Formats: sequence, C-alpha cells, structure tokens
Amino acid sequence: MSHESALAVSGISKTFAGQPALREVSMSVAKGSVHALVGQNGCGKSTLIKILAGVVDPDAGGGIAVTGVSLAPGSPTASDRLGLRFVHQDLGLVSSLDVVDNLALGVGYPRRRTGTINWRAARESARDSLTRLGYSIDVSRPVSELTISERTAVAVARALDPTRSAPTVLVLDEPTANLPRSESQKLFALIRAVRDEGVSVLLVTHHIDEVFDIADHVTVLRDGRWVSTDRIEDLTHDRLVARMIGRAVEGRGRLVEAGSKSDGAIVLDVQNLSTTVLRGISLAVRKGEVVGIAGLTGSGREQLGPALFGAIQRQGSVAVLGTKLAAHDPHAAVAAGMALVPAERHANALFLDATVATNVTAVGTERFTRFGLVAAGRESADVDDWIRRLGVNPPDGKRPIATLSGGNQQKVVLARWLRNGPTILILDDPTQGVDVGAKAEIHQLVASAAAQGAAVLVISTDHEELTSLCHRVEVLVRGHLSASLPGHELSDSVITAATLAAASSVSARVGEPA
Amino acid sequence: MTISDKTAEAATSRSTAPNGSAAGARASRRRIGFGFNKFSGLYLWAIVIVFFAIRLPQTFGTTQNFKIMAGDQAITAMVALALILPVAAGVFDLSVAANVGFCVCVVTRLQMHGMSAPIAILMTLFAGALVGVVNGFVVVRLEVDSFIATLGMSSILAAGAYWITGGQQLVGGVSQKFLNLGQNTLWGISYPFYYMLVLSLVLYIIVEHTPVGRYLFAVGGNMQAARLTGLRVDRVRAGALICSSALAGLVGVILAASLGSASQDVGPPYLLAAFSAVFLGTTQIRPGRANVVGTLIAVYLLATGVKGLQLSGAPVWVNGLFNGVALIFAVALAARGARRQRASNAAA
Repeated sequence: MSHESALAVSGISKTFAGQPALREVSMSVAKGSVHALVGQNGCGKSTLIKILAGVVDPDAGGGIAVTGVSLAPGSPTASDRLGLRFVHQDLGLVSSLDVVDNLALGVGYPRRRTGTINWRAARESARDSLTRLGYSIDVSRPVSELTISERTAVAVARALDPTRSAPTVLVLDEPTANLPRSESQKLFALIRAVRDEGVSVLLVTHHIDEVFDIADHVTVLRDGRWVSTDRIEDLTHDRLVARMIGRAVEGRGRLVEAGSKSDGAIVLDVQNLSTTVLRGISLAVRKGEVVGIAGLTGSGREQLGPALFGAIQRQGSVAVLGTKLAAHDPHAAVAAGMALVPAERHANALFLDATVATNVTAVGTERFTRFGLVAAGRESADVDDWIRRLGVNPPDGKRPIATLSGGNQQKVVLARWLRNGPTILILDDPTQGVDVGAKAEIHQLVASAAAQGAAVLVISTDHEELTSLCHRVEVLVRGHLSASLPGHELSDSVITAATLAAASSVSARVGEPA
Repeated sequence: MTISDKTAEAATSRSTAPNGSAAGARASRRRIGFGFNKFSGLYLWAIVIVFFAIRLPQTFGTTQNFKIMAGDQAITAMVALALILPVAAGVFDLSVAANVGFCVCVVTRLQMHGMSAPIAILMTLFAGALVGVVNGFVVVRLEVDSFIATLGMSSILAAGAYWITGGQQLVGGVSQKFLNLGQNTLWGISYPFYYMLVLSLVLYIIVEHTPVGRYLFAVGGNMQAARLTGLRVDRVRAGALICSSALAGLVGVILAASLGSASQDVGPPYLLAAFSAVFLGTTQIRPGRANVVGTLIAVYLLATGVKGLQLSGAPVWVNGLFNGVALIFAVALAARGARRQRASNAAA
C-alpha cells in the first residue's frame, strides 16, 4: 500500500493552547489521483494543510511520508524538497507583473552567461509550462488582465516548477471559492491535466458538487478527527453531507420566537440586487424581524452587506421604508436609518488609534453640538450610558479601543449604531473572533433591538448563531438566493446542508445519520 | 477599491505584528515615560533657550531677540498650521509653500496694475482656494496620490509665479496701508504674529472641538471605516486640501505685505520647515495626531535652535541642515510612536 501512496499521513495531532485542532488524523493520497479533503469550518482542514507545508509543527508522535520518504516536520524547505506544492486561495500572484515575472517569483529566471536574464528562454519556458496545463496565454500580459481560472493556472504552473525538485503532490486550497461555474469547469480540466502528468492532487474544498465532478477519493474531517475516506463511486451527495455534519445538532436556546413576522411593515425592500457575484437578489425584512443570510465563502455572502449599504457597486433597487437609496452612497444609507456592522472590524469598523468614546461617536456627532461645537460633557455622558448599557468591559470611554478584547470592540461598534436608533440593522459576521460570553451578550443586544422595532439582517458563517437569532434564514448559493428556511425548521445542520446544496437543487436537504 | 481589497491589505499588514509578550513589556515601559514624551518638546525648548541665553547673553538672551523670532516665525507657523488639516485627513499638500509664493506674486502684481488692496486681497484668496479645488479634484476624482498631485501642482505654481513676475523682483506699487498690514508692530512684535495666534485659535477649535475635526481624524485614521459609518470621505479629503490652499492664499497676502515686494522664489523655502514642524508636532501634546499646539511648539523649538546656532557664528546653511535633520528625526520619532502603539495593540 505504502509504495502506491504519494502522501501518507499517520496519527497526526495538533493542539493550540490546549484546544485540539487535529486528533490522530491518518489518511493517504494515492499516486496519480485527485483526492478531495472536505469538512466544515474549523474541522482541521487548514491546520492539516499548514502541517504539510511545514508552517505549523504537529504534536509529537505520528508521521508523514511522501512517496515512502519520511518528512521532517516543521520545515517548509523539507516539504518543498519532497515535492509537496501548494496553491492557496489567494494564489500569491503579483497582479501588476506579467506571467513570466510571476512564474519566476521564488524560482528565478534563466540567465545568460553574462548574468542578465535570458528573456527569450524565460518566455518559452513560461509558455511551455502553461501549454502543458492546457492554457495558451500571452505570457507578456499582466496577471491582472487574466481570468480567474487563467490566474489559477499561472499559480499552479509556478507550484509545479521542477527546477527545485520533482513535484509529487499538489495541494489546492479552496481554489474555486471565488470562481464562477463556467470557470470552475476549466479548472477541473487543469486539475486533470496535472493528474495526467503523474502528480497527485489534494483538493481542499467545501463545494460538495465539485467533489463529485472531479475527485477520485474523498476524505472527511470533523472536529479535528478523521471521519472517512471513500472512493467517490461509493458515496452519494446526501451521505457525504451527513458525514460532514455528523449527527444532527439540536438547536440551542432560541432568542426570538420562531414563526413568521408577516404582520410588521416592510422596512428593507431589496429588488433584483446584483453585484459581481450576487445575481438578482430580492429580499424583504419587516419591522421587528430578524432575517439571517447563510452562504459559503464565494457565494456572494461577503458582498451582500456592503452592497446594501452602498459601499460597493450594485445594480437593482434597495429601499428603506419606501425610500429608494442611491446606489453608491453610504451617507444616504445612514441618513435613511440603515446601520452596518461590517465584517473584519479592524479593517472596516474601528479607528484603532482612537479611544472607545471616539469610536462610539463616529456616527451622529451632530446631535451633540451647540453653536457648531461639540458639547463634550453631554456627549461623553451619552457615551458612558451606552457603554454601560451594552456592558462594554472595562466601562471606560477614555481607554484606547485597541486595548479591548474582540468582543468588547464589537460591542463598541454596536453601540455606535444603536445609539442612533437604526430602522434597519445589518450585521456582517458579527461574532467573528468573539469569545462565547460576549457572543451571547451581542446576540441578546441584537434580539432586543429587534424587539424594540428595528428590522435586522444577520449575515453569518456561524450557523448556530443564525439558528438562535433568526425568524428565518435565506440561503445564498453561487450568487443566488436558493432557499428560504422558516424559523421552526432551523438548525445548524439544516442551514449547513442548504449552503452545501448544488445550485441546481435548491431545496434544503437534511442529511441522513452517518 | 473594494472592501475585500482593503481587508486583504489590512490583514497582511497586521500579520507582521510582533509577539505579545515583548510588546506588552514595551507598552508598560511607554506608560511610565508618557508624561515626559508628551511634553518633551517644551522641555527641550526650555533647555535650548537656557543654553543659548547663557552662552550668548548679549545677542540671544535679549527681549528684542525673542520679539524678532516671534514675528519672523509667524509665516512658517501659519504655513505649518495650514498643513494640519490635510495631514489629519491623511492627505499631503506639498503645494502649500509654492502656493504661498504664487499668491505673494498675485497680490502684488494686481495692486501694481492699479487694483485697490481689498479687491486684490479677495482675488488672491480666491486664487489660492481655487488651487485647492484643483488639488481636491485631482486627488479625489482622478484618484491621483496626493503626494504626486500636489508635487505637480507645486511645479505649476512655481511656473505661474515666474510668469507673473517675469523673473524680476516686483517692488513698489502697493499702498502704505497694505504694507502696514504686514509691517506694523504691537508691543514690539510685528502684526503677522498676532494673525498667527488668531489662526491657531480658530484651527484649534475646528480640529479639537467641532464635528469637522472628528471627521478629519476619522478619515485619516481609517478611511474604509470612515466610509462605512456614512462619512463623505471624498468631501472631507477635498475639503482639507481646499482649506490648506485657501490658508496658503491668506499667508501669501500677509507675506507680501510684510516683504513689500514679490519674487518667484519667496514661497518654496517654507515647505520643509512647515512639514518638519507638523510632523514633530505629532509627537507632542496629542501624540500620534497632528495638532495645533504641538505644531506651534515645534515651529518655535526649531527656530530657536537655528537662531541660537546662527548667533553663535554658524554659517547660513545651518538653517537648511537643521530643518532637514529635524524632519527626518521627527518622522522617525512619529514612526517609533506608531510602532509602539501597534505593539501595544497586538498585546491587547
């Protein structure tokens, strides 16, 4: 068996600060095969990939062998020498440089005897390596002008460069996350071309339908454990989903009453909203209603919040209480009563150099002015009031925001908006990187904002969060709203199954027990 | 630029943060020295004054000398004050000094053509502000980096000043009333010093006590976050550039009145001294942000040093040397402060 496997992982564990991320995982990838690695967020996929790449040290015990040769852990050079090659989701290309330059990154250029670059040889070898993958690209074009699948091809061609050592296993980490359907077909052809050259492919993905399109074998990880490895012929879509989810997780305590809120007035009315990824989204949120949005990375989930708020280009109509919002004007959105707690709070929400109070008062300072001057006393009293009301800890407006924990920073961002009494509150991944206690508190705050009459839209990757918080959940699949899950049907596994459903079959499926 | 671009950028810059424990130690050390850091410029200034006053009691240590310095530095201080708004909003205005020079030529030339002083002054202020409108358009609409846009504008204004003066020094043709605006003294100090005090007060109130000040620092602190709170980021950035240019027009008028003549080369020398002061100022009073009081301290600290050296017999070029060294030193200090801030953020 071992002489047939390109990669053999046995008994690998990894513990981060007492939290096990991988527990005794063993799996092997056969030579010349496409092997899919699937599992939910946090199942340990990325930790395993980082261990293979030598970026993360595994715990003692266990071993990794590449074509029968044992791999010294924790060394990127060792991984590279044995032919393990990686293409990450962001591809690692420099978009302003042309194809030849990108292929030379980290590998180097062919030289003339004088030491100068032999451009003709560089161009020819670039053209060759892309032709072998089935692509004919003008190699003098900058990468920014290429389609996404062409860029992926460039990244793959670079990874497969044989100058350092012969490649044995190509690891593709979520290569299709941002790819339109037509483009992913081209990528599959590319993967087959790589396989036909004798290089095994380990494909990390959470698009189930892709697994059935391209993989020969599939391994499932769950909660850091190996669950199964099967030949693809032996599996069905539903059985694979069931294995990823495990036994159905019962809904935790719910914060809002299940059941529709069809009585309230429509606050947010979205008609035919499109962006680069989203396609024709129509959606309504009523007064006092909490609507959830679920979707995989690349489903358009990341774009919905910014698009509604006018922070990115959009087509279609967005109206708040009957007033249509201008397409590219966050100021108008705020004026209409819209509030956005954006994802990635450090980049998109916080003024990290400033105090807690300054961060709270970033919106609505005008209300505290007299003769054009900020009434500092009145304002700071109001800030203190909100800090207390939201349980920001420590309750001190003069502290630099950067010294607070993630959960407390997020409460500050919530305070910023709640004190302005928004009519529609949009939360984008609101509890990402937030500890359990603060998460529960944030959920309470959102639920009570809804109870006081705000319309709330929660966009989240955390399906437990959506289950406990939402009256209903709309599911995004490849840019379309594919399913609407009513409150009484909500559970972690129902939502997950719906996000994994192929675009063609939009009904939510509940997996059979594994 | 989309959100995802921005977040990717932020993520990469963040991933280089140093490890927590070392940063924690550094942060606690900073807290001890905090009071000293904040006012270090004032202490340093006092030391410089005492040092030269003891060495040169006859020349440096006289009331007359301090009165002259106060008046002499008023123009530099006002150019520096003009820069506070764009620097707070995270944009550069390198054209400000060239604009001052251009406006000196405009206001003088207009009066030589027989225009009355009030009209000439108004037209000059308008011309100065118009430069800011163009800067704002180029930076915000054409999305040219402010550094490049205002550097280019600087060159255009220098050309304009040359065209107006024909390369000659323009002397005469302005009324005594106009000259009085720049040359009269009160308690032994020339008028521009008092203009500077008024301007400081106005800017201090705007920057520290109005919503506009908040917006400037929000945009300068995190443009993406500012946009996502509904702030009209473009207007704030363009507005800051228009204000700095309008103030340059004002400074140009005052400088013309105090010089009594105009030539194409009077403006540009103020650029370096003013920028040095603003950046050195960000290490003072309100560390990490451009502020009025810190800037004034920096202007007079630098001027006192230069003056003392000159009176000690140092050659004329020590002026440029001193300002250049001070600029680099100031930015290095500011960068060090920012690094510590980041380190303490990472520790939290």
